[in-house]
Amino acid sequence: MNPDPAKPGVLVIDDESQIRRLLRFTLEDAGYTVREAETGHAGLVAAAHAPPDAVILDLGLPDLPGLEVLKRLREWSPLPVLILSVFGQEGSKVAALDAGADDYLTKPFGGAELLARLRALLRRVKPAEPAGAVRFGQVEVDLMHRRVTKDGQPVKLTVKEYALLRLLVAHRDKVLTHRQILNELWGQKMEGQTHYLRVFMMRLRRKLEDEPDAPKHFQTESGIGYRLVCDAS
Amino acid sequence: MPFYLPAIPGFMRRSFPRKGVPPVAPAGRGTRLLDWKEHGLSPLREYVEVLGVLVVVTVAGWFSPFSYHAYGLVYLLAVIMLCLRVGRWPVLVAAVVSAVAWDFLIIPPRLSFAVLDLEDVMILGTYFVVAIIAGQVTARIRAQEHDQRQREQRATALFHLTRALTGSRTLDEAVGAALRQADEIFGAETALLLPGGAGGLAPHAASSFRLDELERNVAECAWREARETGRYTANNPRAAALHLPLLRAGAVLGVLVLCLPVEVARTSPAQRELLAAFAAQVALLIEREQLRAASQREQLLAESDRLHRTLLDCVSHELKTPLAVLRSAAESLGRETGARRAELAGEILTAASRLDRVVANLLNQTRLESGAVKPQPDWCDARDLINAARRGLGDALAGRPVRIEIPADMPLFMADAPLMEQVLTNLLHNAVRYTPAGSALVVSAGVDEANQRVFLAVADHGPGIPAAIRGHLFQKFRRGSETQGSGLGLGLSIVRGFMLAQGGEVVAESLPGQGAKFTVYLPYTLHETVPHE
Repeated sequence: MNPDPAKPGVLVIDDESQIRRLLRFTLEDAGYTVREAETGHAGLVAAAHAPPDAVILDLGLPDLPGLEVLKRLREWSPLPVLILSVFGQEGSKVAALDAGADDYLTKPFGGAELLARLRALLRRVKPAEPAGAVRFGQVEVDLMHRRVTKDGQPVKLTVKEYALLRLLVAHRDKVLTHRQILNELWGQKMEGQTHYLRVFMMRLRRKLEDEPDAPKHFQTESGIGYRLVCDAS
Repeated sequence: MPFYLPAIPGFMRRSFPRKGVPPVAPAGRGTRLLDWKEHGLSPLREYVEVLGVLVVVTVAGWFSPFSYHAYGLVYLLAVIMLCLRVGRWPVLVAAVVSAVAWDFLIIPPRLSFAVLDLEDVMILGTYFVVAIIAGQVTARIRAQEHDQRQREQRATALFHLTRALTGSRTLDEAVGAALRQADEIFGAETALLLPGGAGGLAPHAASSFRLDELERNVAECAWREARETGRYTANNPRAAALHLPLLRAGAVLGVLVLCLPVEVARTSPAQRELLAAFAAQVALLIEREQLRAASQREQLLAESDRLHRTLLDCVSHELKTPLAVLRSAAESLGRETGARRAELAGEILTAASRLDRVVANLLNQTRLESGAVKPQPDWCDARDLINAARRGLGDALAGRPVRIEIPADMPLFMADAPLMEQVLTNLLHNAVRYTPAGSALVVSAGVDEANQRVFLAVADHGPGIPAAIRGHLFQKFRRGSETQGSGLGLGLSIVRGFMLAQGGEVVAESLPGQGAKFTVYLPYTLHETVPHE
């Protein structure tokens, strides 16, 4: 188990020792405890032996494809998983996200980005929001009373617009794939209908963003999905 | 030969091919240019004509009221007129026969060889000399005329060939034209055999003569021995066709096969000479094409050599510069303290993002060239793409006002979002690199209703695109300015590759006094309306 229960533990599964070392520096500085695994098998064993609070998994492992490691992990554990991939693997990123990964980072990435992702991932397993209200920018979403305000003024949203907003808020600072959102809001039959998503996202931005053409919060991840950015840091 | 029905309107005109022979392009005047038969009369007919004329003249002389002296001149006239129609031997025969007839039948006493007096002998002598000279002169004139006619035929034939060849661009076209000309000029069926892949000879597709096993062997023989073979030659005269090797500088480039009409029993040296000249022209053509192909290969090699050299130079420069920065900055970081450390860290970040971009571009170009780019089109929002590209560029756009011009009713369109993001990133990065710091950029999008397509455009306020580089703007490893020393010259090449892969295109404009504008177009399909629910 975690040597220090106050510090969240992160398991890093990557075959590059330099990456592991740098991740360790970054994470330990931010107050995490870090364990390392060099291969997919070793990573699975380590995760089973002493479940960490989150897993950082490289998609390109020498022994097992990262996707396979993820699937085996998901057979028994809902642990938050952050995927590391290289440029040009949009397809495998989406596959990993749809297979249950919680978020991704493309190498090369910055430390601040990594920590923000990890924070969002760990928040999911925290107890529910105390007040049931979430703020981003000038927007406040009161989940309990289904009320949305911007600059203190109430904003009228349609049923679907609110459903989309609630989904994004529930997974704030985390990426949601097109498929995940469409499935959640419209059911499986609409999985390919991404234009619905684009149109609703456009409407939400017009109602809630200061500059709908340069959104700060409702961000698009090209070829993958959307992310509601609340984390200011 | 093909023939035409005059009553058929022009557009319905067809040549009527003989069985098994592909239709041949119509000859200019509907008749072949070269007549295989000798002009003039056959020798036997010449003698018959000579005798006929003399009989008529003699019969007329028998009843004529003139003195026999005067009638001698009539004989002379007849012989000289015969000179114009018959050869020199028939003329000589005519002279002798008419002398005998004159003496035996005209000079009294008739029906007996009169004893000639001196005057008669003088007339006879003059008569012979005049007949012989006239015969010689006219024969020479006729021979000259014959030569001239053949030269003319030959010149015309070669002229037609050259004209047909200059009009053709590829070897196949030229060979086709040459063979049709041969068909036309010689009234023959022709074939051209060129060395095929398996070491043997293969007939060119445009050949009108189909070679059987025997003819093939004869052609192989002409090829091997590099001499004329087949019909009309001493070598394999039983063959149906004449096989002419195409010789250039001692090498045999192919074999021209001519199957002349069956009734042509022999060919004259002049005709053979024409055939040889024709074959030489075809050989020249093939050689020229081979040289052209060789020089094209050479050029391609040189070009790929240049590309490789540029690639090596560029890649090593582009990779090593940031690496050198990273290394020396990291070393200094170990020694330095205080404010310099932050500065060095900034240098490292800049070098890292430069390295990242170079590697991304190299990977993209490689993916394009290996056909690994398989677009997965999905509905895209122009604003999303532009924002993603701007986010990706980060500090590179620092200090640049970017104006976004997108109509409020801009529809969604089908595209591969990551590819489009890269396209916009490269266009924006390009604009930043080649325009003065601080100058504004305009990113716009819209629908080109007339052509059913959507466009995204990046315009700048820089110096525009120099005319000298417009031709190779989208070629790889070409940089906007060779002196501006950095960059791989892949950005626009990738833009073009990604746009073509998605069924779109990219257009560059340079507006005088306004700057450069790059517009990418994509086909536009309307999606169903999304309800307000």
